[in-house]
Amino acid sequence: MANAFVAAFEILSFGAIIVLIVLGLGIIASMMGIFNFAQGEFVLLGAYITYLAYAKGLPIWAGMVAAPVVVGALGFVLEALIIRRFYAAPIVAMLGTYALGLIIRESVRGLIGGFYLTVPEPIGGSIDIGAMHISAWRFTIIVITLLVMAGCYLLLSRTSFGLRMRATLENPSLARASGISTPLMYGATFAFGSALAGLAGALIVPVFSLYADLGLRFLIQGFVAVMVGGVGSFIGPVAGAGVIGTLSAALPWVMAPVVADVLVFVLAIVFIKFRPQGLIAGKGV
Amino acid sequence: MGAAKQAVHADAGGEIDVSVVERTAAAGRATAERKILPIVEGVVLVAALLAPLVLQDYLTVFATRVIILALFALSFDLVWGYAGIMSFGQALFFGSAGYGVALLARDLDITNIFLVLPAGTLIGLTFALLLGGFLLLGRHPSSVIFVSLGTLTGSYAADRLARGWYYLGGQNGIPSIAPMSLGGYDFTEGPAFYYLVLGILVVVYLLCRFLVRSQFGLALAGLRENEQRIAFFGYKAQHLKAIIFTIGGAIAGLAGSLYAFHEGFVWPNMVGVVVSTQVVLYVLFGGSGTLIGAVIGTVIVEGVSFWLSDNYRDIWPIILGLLLLLVILFRPLGLISFVLGERERVGSFGAKPKEKRNAAP
Repeated sequence: MANAFVAAFEILSFGAIIVLIVLGLGIIASMMGIFNFAQGEFVLLGAYITYLAYAKGLPIWAGMVAAPVVVGALGFVLEALIIRRFYAAPIVAMLGTYALGLIIRESVRGLIGGFYLTVPEPIGGSIDIGAMHISAWRFTIIVITLLVMAGCYLLLSRTSFGLRMRATLENPSLARASGISTPLMYGATFAFGSALAGLAGALIVPVFSLYADLGLRFLIQGFVAVMVGGVGSFIGPVAGAGVIGTLSAALPWVMAPVVADVLVFVLAIVFIKFRPQGLIAGKGV
Repeated sequence: MGAAKQAVHADAGGEIDVSVVERTAAAGRATAERKILPIVEGVVLVAALLAPLVLQDYLTVFATRVIILALFALSFDLVWGYAGIMSFGQALFFGSAGYGVALLARDLDITNIFLVLPAGTLIGLTFALLLGGFLLLGRHPSSVIFVSLGTLTGSYAADRLARGWYYLGGQNGIPSIAPMSLGGYDFTEGPAFYYLVLGILVVVYLLCRFLVRSQFGLALAGLRENEQRIAFFGYKAQHLKAIIFTIGGAIAGLAGSLYAFHEGFVWPNMVGVVVSTQVVLYVLFGGSGTLIGAVIGTVIVEGVSFWLSDNYRDIWPIILGLLLLLVILFRPLGLISFVLGERERVGSFGAKPKEKRNAAP
């Protein structure tokens, strides 16, 4: 029983991490039609900023708050300078964002060297439920993920900003004709997606420690999750992330980790092949 | 008065327009007559032939590696530059062939060149047929995004598999592969291996050149420009794509088996995302959609990184990323487009007409 509970918690917390990372990726892919290869590096930057704050003697919380702001601002600038030119061509966008990611990743590698740098958890220790102990920080990640998810959903479905954002996604020319500044909306969306990646990086760095290839590890899982969930809505990628995250964490408990690792990807690709619109095809939010 | 002025203006404009049109047409004829592409190809070939004579030994070894990678780049260029299929997992075929021949050499002691190279090619072909068939064929045409992410995922999954599978050597890969042999002769690093690889590259290059200039190549170019229209013309667009993807896989497999024997070991990166994206870099730099562009791109990227990595090891990848970004933004047709005009890049297809059309009686 206790074992099963620990397993369930592990699966849940890994699923939450994947959801957190995919949120930004999914918003950019759904709202803008761009598969952002630099998203992993935005995660890395968020982690790096948190580490920097810790190394400078600031409280880790400060770094975690700063990370999304800084990465979001960077995303806004990059969108205005570079990403904007790619909207017409999704493949070129992939290559261009890949180049951006390469620049960011190698710069960070130059700054930290080939090391694995650890950042302590801002909330240490464990939560005890009877005989079972679960990591307090991982629990916090789950809670924050739920809050961020709810926040994003409300932002997109209940605010006028979200309405304009969705209008821009649905029909850019009509949105422009209705007086919505679509370039500004695209910039804001990209900045928002980047900020989410920065937040994800900041939150996961105590769990995974900081190294230059941190982002790469999650990037492909993120893409697969977005495709499984379905591009074009907010709920789709989140659902996909939940499925992929849960499978990646759950399968190693029942089979050899190597097989499980590969099986997740194979299953995902087969699923997308036969259901290209993804789990949730509806428009919705 | 105003109207007259305007008329004069219009007149002048008309005149200028005509002269511009005439001049461009004349320039077009001039470039059509003096072809740049064969000159570039000839220069590259001569340089490649002379290279081992002037290079030191360790540089010849490096040059051999570059030629093998150029062969690999050719396979990607065929798939992306000509047919417009974004294969982000080309290393899957390169690396799996490398692993395949490494296993042949390790477990079965087969190193005969006439066995291992066809075997590697066949492995690449088979994997490409399976993956390409799955991703490209089917009732509904697959989206570009799905194909590119599907190949990327395939490559990543293969990387993870190679890392975790003990039989394939895990993280360390398969070290110290016996050299490729022909009768009693062993191909070790050096001029002999170099000329062998160069010969293979030239043969494959000529085959590709024939292929992309044939009617099949014309259909591929159509696919790249507008797949739907090609389908409306009655071509089986998905089949064409699967065929070219498989050919690309076979060439990548050939390159991978040569690479495995040249380096003497294979390791998981060879099937993974790193090498997959590297080959994309080569082709984008050189210029996709021209075969020689892929070769030149490989030589430039590898050469400059070899030269810079001694002194600027840390910042070289950053520079590479910046250059790549600049090329994508401002030179989408690659470096070759500095010397090669659009007309010649597109070129002509099929058999040449016997008489020149503008040689009027």
